[in-house]
Amino acid sequence: MYRLGLRLTLKGGRESLVRLLVTTVAVAIGVTILLGVFADFHAFEKTSDRPSWESTSGIPVASVPAPTPKAELWNYSENIYKGRFIEQLDVGTLGAGAPLLPGIAKLPGPGQFYASPALAALLKTVPKSELGNRFPGVQVGTIGEAALSFPNELAVYVGLAPQQFANLTGTAEVTHIATAAQLQGTTGIYKDAFGVAALAILFPLLILINTATRLSASRREERYAAMRLIGATPHQINVIASVDAIFGALLGAVLGSVIFLAIRPAVADISFSGVKFFSNYVTPTIWEYLGLIIIVPTVAAIASLVSLRRVTISPLGVSRKTTPPKPRSWRLIPLIVGISLFIYAGNHINNGGTGKGNPGPLFGGFLLIMVGLILSGSWLTMQVTKLLARFARSASSLLAARRLSDNPKGAFRTISGLVLAVFVGSVVSVLVPALNQAQNPSGQTSLSNVLRVPYSTGPLDAGIPPTAAASLVSKMESYPGAVVVPFYTNPAFIAFQQQQFAAQSDQSGSGKRVNIMMAPNPNINPPDDSIASCVSLAKLSTLGTCSPGVKAVTVTPDNVLSGDNPLFIYKSLPVVTHNSPVSTASLNNLSLSGMLIKANNPNTLEQIRTYLSMYNDTSQGAGDGTGGDSLSAWQMGDLEPETIGEVAKIRDNDDSNIGRAVLAIVVLTLITAGCSLAVTIGGSLVERKRPFTLLRVSGVSLSTLYKDILLEAALPLVVVSVIAAGIGLGVGIPVVKGLLKNLEPKGTAIPVYPSMGYYIALGVGLVIALGLVIITLPLLKHMTKPEDVRFE
Amino acid sequence: MKDKEYILEAIDLKKTFGVTLALQGANLDVKQGEIVAIMGPSGSGKSTLLHCLAGILKPDSGEVMFDGKRLDQMDEAERTKLRRTAFGFVFQFGQLVPELTAEDNVALPLLLNKAGRSEAYTKARSWFPRLGIEGMEKHRTGEMSGGQSQRVALARALAIEPKVLFADEPTGSLDSLASEQVMELLVKTAREQGTTVVLVTHDPRIAAYADREVMVRDGKVTTAGRRVGAVR
Repeated sequence: MYRLGLRLTLKGGRESLVRLLVTTVAVAIGVTILLGVFADFHAFEKTSDRPSWESTSGIPVASVPAPTPKAELWNYSENIYKGRFIEQLDVGTLGAGAPLLPGIAKLPGPGQFYASPALAALLKTVPKSELGNRFPGVQVGTIGEAALSFPNELAVYVGLAPQQFANLTGTAEVTHIATAAQLQGTTGIYKDAFGVAALAILFPLLILINTATRLSASRREERYAAMRLIGATPHQINVIASVDAIFGALLGAVLGSVIFLAIRPAVADISFSGVKFFSNYVTPTIWEYLGLIIIVPTVAAIASLVSLRRVTISPLGVSRKTTPPKPRSWRLIPLIVGISLFIYAGNHINNGGTGKGNPGPLFGGFLLIMVGLILSGSWLTMQVTKLLARFARSASSLLAARRLSDNPKGAFRTISGLVLAVFVGSVVSVLVPALNQAQNPSGQTSLSNVLRVPYSTGPLDAGIPPTAAASLVSKMESYPGAVVVPFYTNPAFIAFQQQQFAAQSDQSGSGKRVNIMMAPNPNINPPDDSIASCVSLAKLSTLGTCSPGVKAVTVTPDNVLSGDNPLFIYKSLPVVTHNSPVSTASLNNLSLSGMLIKANNPNTLEQIRTYLSMYNDTSQGAGDGTGGDSLSAWQMGDLEPETIGEVAKIRDNDDSNIGRAVLAIVVLTLITAGCSLAVTIGGSLVERKRPFTLLRVSGVSLSTLYKDILLEAALPLVVVSVIAAGIGLGVGIPVVKGLLKNLEPKGTAIPVYPSMGYYIALGVGLVIALGLVIITLPLLKHMTKPEDVRFE
Repeated sequence: MKDKEYILEAIDLKKTFGVTLALQGANLDVKQGEIVAIMGPSGSGKSTLLHCLAGILKPDSGEVMFDGKRLDQMDEAERTKLRRTAFGFVFQFGQLVPELTAEDNVALPLLLNKAGRSEAYTKARSWFPRLGIEGMEKHRTGEMSGGQSQRVALARALAIEPKVLFADEPTGSLDSLASEQVMELLVKTAREQGTTVVLVTHDPRIAAYADREVMVRDGKVTTAGRRVGAVR
């Protein structure tokens, strides 16, 4: 019986071969996409689970320790080159057997460094004054991927002598390098999101495989009836049907695996989440290959058998066990309730601007909309086809409308996976640019090219002493096109802080200073922490202007110098107004608490950054050999010099990555839906060969039939996509507006609109899906040749 | 059971489809080796009677006896086995599997009956010269004329050497010449094998090949008797 099943599949003539071919190709596409999703997921997982040497902790050291075997000194920091982070580890051996860093064979000695391949490439092309000077010494090798998260990561291990760590704050003695994965708050969320995304793609793929397996089912069922007539048992029919389904699916699964292996290098280059993975990470496991090769044919066999259970195959023919009832209007209820709840909850989530509303109803509404879309899809399809039938002027639209309205559930089932993807994609595409806008408001890019350099690392830290400050500011001003706004520490603020600390020491009763941040006393207004010259402030008009005639004012530029949210940075502007307190202090006698440096030329900006990096890292001060003070008192804290634009970009990236991944899902589901439609059309052509041929014989033009087929596919695809997108945007825009109400900067409204990527993703996805449908059209011409009018 | 010489008996058969009364107490006896033509206008219930006699349909009430056994009380598996081993069928349309060649189709019931492959094909091929379709073995149904297809169907029905051959409008889609050729072959082979034939037709010229013809009207067998001057 198995042989007979195989024979029917393989040697059953042109129709069987067409069916086998379409099934194989459809399943192969599905399997290729699935393997791609698995591969990307594993790459993400493997990257997330990489042993994080960066998380190594050690014993902080205040002075150079004595030589110790199996120990080394570490000083980890991050700096930036044109928006890209560079991980820098200064390392110095304290004795024999010091732990070896991952990715290298030998620790760098003093005056040596290892760079990641991407950084090594940059160092070769970028002038030293813009980057290379940050890493003293000679490159002795490259860092291997064991130490890196992604191929274009910038990282450097710089070898120093133990004495060179003397003035570097944050130095630790390390005896063991961490091997645990880096624990980031977002890692788990990303993993879950990836899982959900994989499921979102899996669902339409299963529909595709199911559709392909059941290709021209009714024709096959007639054959089974003929076999039943001559005594084939239901079991024998099941065997034949299973063999047929399994063979096509198995072939498709194997072909899909082969295609994936062929395109794997290209897949590794695609970055759905914004980060490119190492290409050898982008691979499914052997179990997943095997699993798909086993599971897909099994699923296909089950789908085939389930479809046979839905019909009664008697020796006299096939009858459906139940005639599916037409979808009814109650299916709209969850959708309407969901939309209402979502909009209501979205408008009240801020709870009067407090942002403390209960998000439960919002999520509930969102979930109801998704359920409602799936439930109401067939009803909506039916209504649209009814409309089409009513206003149909051509034979093709009449044929298509009648066919679709006869089985709207079947028409919708093929593309149901698409609805959720387009809906979620639409909401996300509204949310992401709005969030980006909220955090980096439109028209508020005046500080994008402004490098901020904070020097005060705490309430009692005055920053760089006056003499060194003057030469540093002067050096900064010497760069062509650089605009420097220095901020000096307000002595009144330091005095106030000391007073507060003294009070706290007294309260502790121990006589010791308690080294914790104090809760602000609401009854005391602390003085501004900085003093700035009105002339220099005027160079950056965004910061505001002093009253005419005033030379210096006290200001609090904390947000601009160290805030990590551009929204609040811009909200804190202007830093100076006509009401700012006037200061009569002599700036030359004050310590430098920080600087804002604007340079429109990105190369100049990097030269400044490189200079500052060397200035901060060397005890001699300026790295160009000019003298300086000891940095031990005014070493920068964790904050490396970065532009406000870079601060914004870092925050944008997370949201944009999510948005990009969601749009990738939209495109993939659209392509999958296109495949399902193509398969369905192929099947319907096989089943309707007789009426179509007769129509052609009776004079109906081929173009009319083409239009019919195209309409049957395009109508539900486009209608459902437009409805899902419309609802996504319709509910997304008001809700996002409600959510962002209290985030909008003074007097401005954050524009809420879908990203351009959304339109492109939707458009490209639809075009590809329709393209796949069009590919099947030549079948129509071939299968309905009038000369083949005689039927069995 | 009235008489051991009857291979098939229908006793007071009633069958409805929804609100349609197809059979309203039909009675019929068919002797071993007899060729019976069931005639009647469209919708009279003649095909339903044939389907009940063949165990394809179960009557709502009444009895169907085959070879002394209650066919109407057999379960689906037993009736399926009978169709595979004791009954042959030739219908107007759709009984051939188009994916298969002519010889595959003829060998199919033998294969379903667990015959060896070479045995099944040898037996299947032996029918082609007997039915005048030699050379058509490798053809698919779409590559044959209607008459040739029906001869393949006949070969398939007779290949298992059935006790009863059920033919429902076997020449309904053929021209008169092809009809005559198919009927002559059907009758000749049935007689050679001693196969009983129950033939449904509305064409008196086809019915003329039978030993006996019965009329079905409004779900009842109204006349029965030996036909004078049957075509031999």
